[in-house]
Amino acid sequence: MLLHVVNRSPATSRTYQQALAGMSADDRLLLIEDGVQGALPQLVRHYAGLEGRLFALKEDLASRGLLGRCDASVQVIDVDGFVELTEEADRTVSWY
Amino acid sequence: MHDHLYDGDLLVILRHGPHGSSWLKEGLDAALVAAAFGRHVSLLFMGEGVMALMAGQQAGPLGQKGTAATLDMLEMYDIETLLVDEQGLSLFDLSCDELMLEVTCVSSAELARVLSGHRLVLTF
Repeated sequence: MLLHVVNRSPATSRTYQQALAGMSADDRLLLIEDGVQGALPQLVRHYAGLEGRLFALKEDLASRGLLGRCDASVQVIDVDGFVELTEEADRTVSWY
Repeated sequence: MHDHLYDGDLLVILRHGPHGSSWLKEGLDAALVAAAFGRHVSLLFMGEGVMALMAGQQAGPLGQKGTAATLDMLEMYDIETLLVDEQGLSLFDLSCDELMLEVTCVSSAELARVLSGHRLVLTF
């Protein structure tokens, strides 16, 4: 299982499409930095099909005032959770 | 597609075109260094990265060298697995056979296997 990390917003960048194209059926996707915008209900449709495998970083949501505005299908994790995801994955791949 | 496309020590994903930034050059440098140390390296040109493979590239207006010359050296470094993202090609309405090097086209369905098949993946 690979952990894919995206730091660009689907509102401004097509990077997320490359991440999705590179994902296997059990890979996980973590949204960080501006990427957390993709966790909003209006934008989360770009990640359809990732239910249970889509994560967003709490610290980056909080700093942007987006904590509590995430779609219910997104699992919010903090930096310690980020470390755990990294441990559980064979490797991580960054998309920026 | 042959199995060797799905395994290797290092997969370098190139997602930027030549001249506009140094991402492409840095990705190629990383690939060459790894190959020089005997690693089995594959390159994947993705999205805008397919622009790196256009035939007839030249120096920039200020004499910047670009990356085409580096691509010509790949064979010398035994970097022979050159993959191109099919979607990237269609983005620019290009086909595999008009590119400067012989490459293997990879469909969206095959991309995930390419990534999971390499021990290390670097994105540029």
